[in-house]
Amino acid sequence: MTATGTAVARPPRSSAPREFFAAVNTIMVKELRSRMRGRRAFIVLTVYLGLLALITYGVYIVVAPNVRGFGGGFGGFGGQANASALIGQSIFTLLSIFQLILVAFIAPAFTAGQISLEREKQTLDLLISTPMRPAAIVVGKLAAALAFVVLMIVAAVPITAIVLMYGGASVDDIVRQQIVLLGTALLLGSIGLFFSALLKRTQAATVLTYITMLGLTLGTTMLFIFWTVVANTSDDGFGFGPPKRAPEQLMYLNPGIAMLDVVANTEPGGFGGISSMLRELRGDGGVIGGNVECIGNECRAVDRFGNVLDGGGPATGYWWPRITITFVVLSAILTFAATRLVVPAGMRWAFRRPRAARAAGPDETAVDASEPAIAELPLEEDR
Amino acid sequence: MTGTPVVETRGLVKRYGEHLAVAGVDLRVGPGEIYGLVGPNGAGKTTTMKILATLLAPTAGEAYVTGIPVDADPLEVRRRIGYMPDFYGVYDDLRVWEYLDFFARCYGVPANRRPTMIDELLEIVGLTDKRNGYVEAMSRGMRQRLCLAHTLVHDPALLILDEPASGLDPRARVEMREILRELRSMGKTILVSSHILPELGEMCTGVAIIDRGRLLRSGSIGEIERSLRASALLRIEILGDEAAVQSARDWLGTDSRIADVLGGTIDADGATRIEASFDGDSAAQADLLRAMVDAGHRVVGFNQATSDLEEIFLKVTGQVDEETAA
Repeated sequence: MTATGTAVARPPRSSAPREFFAAVNTIMVKELRSRMRGRRAFIVLTVYLGLLALITYGVYIVVAPNVRGFGGGFGGFGGQANASALIGQSIFTLLSIFQLILVAFIAPAFTAGQISLEREKQTLDLLISTPMRPAAIVVGKLAAALAFVVLMIVAAVPITAIVLMYGGASVDDIVRQQIVLLGTALLLGSIGLFFSALLKRTQAATVLTYITMLGLTLGTTMLFIFWTVVANTSDDGFGFGPPKRAPEQLMYLNPGIAMLDVVANTEPGGFGGISSMLRELRGDGGVIGGNVECIGNECRAVDRFGNVLDGGGPATGYWWPRITITFVVLSAILTFAATRLVVPAGMRWAFRRPRAARAAGPDETAVDASEPAIAELPLEEDR
Repeated sequence: MTGTPVVETRGLVKRYGEHLAVAGVDLRVGPGEIYGLVGPNGAGKTTTMKILATLLAPTAGEAYVTGIPVDADPLEVRRRIGYMPDFYGVYDDLRVWEYLDFFARCYGVPANRRPTMIDELLEIVGLTDKRNGYVEAMSRGMRQRLCLAHTLVHDPALLILDEPASGLDPRARVEMREILRELRSMGKTILVSSHILPELGEMCTGVAIIDRGRLLRSGSIGEIERSLRASALLRIEILGDEAAVQSARDWLGTDSRIADVLGGTIDADGATRIEASFDGDSAAQADLLRAMVDAGHRVVGFNQATSDLEEIFLKVTGQVDEETAA
């Protein structure tokens, strides 16, 4: 026996990132094994795609006769192409918004139980008593829950791609739409996971996640409007000076605005109802009461006296990158917070870096490196 | 290997606020032992085990697993132990082999070793035919065995099993015992807890009796028994009326070796049984009996209560009651 304090013969370990991703993969494989089992997942996916297909068809049925009606009128010339583009644009708009709504409801449902269910079923202790890092467990859980949501989002691409046939929306638009959907899924998934780690009961976590989701969409919108109205009411009352607005950063939390921004890009020339609304949110060009004037394919914003409004370039492309980046940052923060919460306060010490072996360690407890530990013997020889 | 205890604790203390769950426990478990932690519910067994399993940080004292201080490198300790908690759940929608595969991955067992290892583990715990069954559909006994198998996926040196036989029917208990014996023959060191001593007594190489966070006795069952035999419990049956019995009691009370005279239950045949804890060996007992008869007491029964494990346990934990009362 060597008496070298508590020096421990350590088996060579794989690098930390590799270990981390192996652990993430472990959780994912297990989660997906049970999630994709049976018919449930396939039925959910089929129903989802079926709904999207129905919407696509429905929009076509409604929009097509109308646009054919005013054939060459739209935008001055190139009527046939524009009619087709309008169908494409309508389908794209509705599909995008509908998918966003579905993702907003599905992502929380998949994540809000991830950790609280483990607590309720008393499986979490077994999991966190393994040498896996809590961060790997949390990221694995999030990845597993989002994997199915991502599958749903990506599986809908071929349906969305129908719009390419009509025109009106480009491949770029579809890519942006996907980015916004994935970003939204990521944020809502992280929120669900965070509440799941924070609260003991899945029910409470689910409710809070949905409330947060509604707060991010409807809540920020209403707050924005309310704020703007109050700010303008407290004005001197004569309406001089530019109208005041709530800070636009409030809308960085709103996935709906991101999607509207993507959709607005398909509006002719970058102008239209949604574009104007987005411009107004930004206080860009003061389109309140303004109009869009199109000559051929050239559109511009004008006020009611016919003056071209400044800063009036297409309003699209402003929101979605900012919102998506905000979402990614928030998700990272929430995931980190969930990592802290998943391990009980009394156990966090276990995941810190190994402390240097204590100098006062008793000699006889030293492990002799020359003798094989029982753990290292192969099982077959033991039996 | 004799120099390296697999488990060693020194003055282990765990405090929850005001409550002292573990109050200075010293344990030493050598390689290849099956060591039992026995004590009533709430004695501190689970807390001690959780500290060793690196699920709780000790308030004071030291705990080593295969020589590694548990609070210095918990993750390394985890690689060397298999822990089975007293309460745990299982995952829905997961097959038995997937369950083991999952934990094998958690412990970083390489992919090429997993399939054979899973088959071997299932054979050890007798669940080979349940390989593709669903975990949530299994009986309690099967789940306990599966959970035991899960502690073995990374081939640890030490198994920490918290009440592995609780809630099992007698047959399942026997099966569990058989499995533990087999694991021991494979070279595993096993730390196992129970609130029932006899359940463990027969197979344990060593036992620690814990109550209210304190270690009352430790050693082999034989050692504990011997240490208790110094104060044997005598059952003495006296024939006669109340006055005769009372005089016998008084007489016994004068003997300095007799610590306590209890009872006074009347048997069906008219004899009254009294119990006395007596500090002395068999020869001293014989002397006592002769002196008693010589003193004119009508003794019809005189024997030492056979100390089965249950009684040892009650006695040891009972002594604490007296100590704390005093």
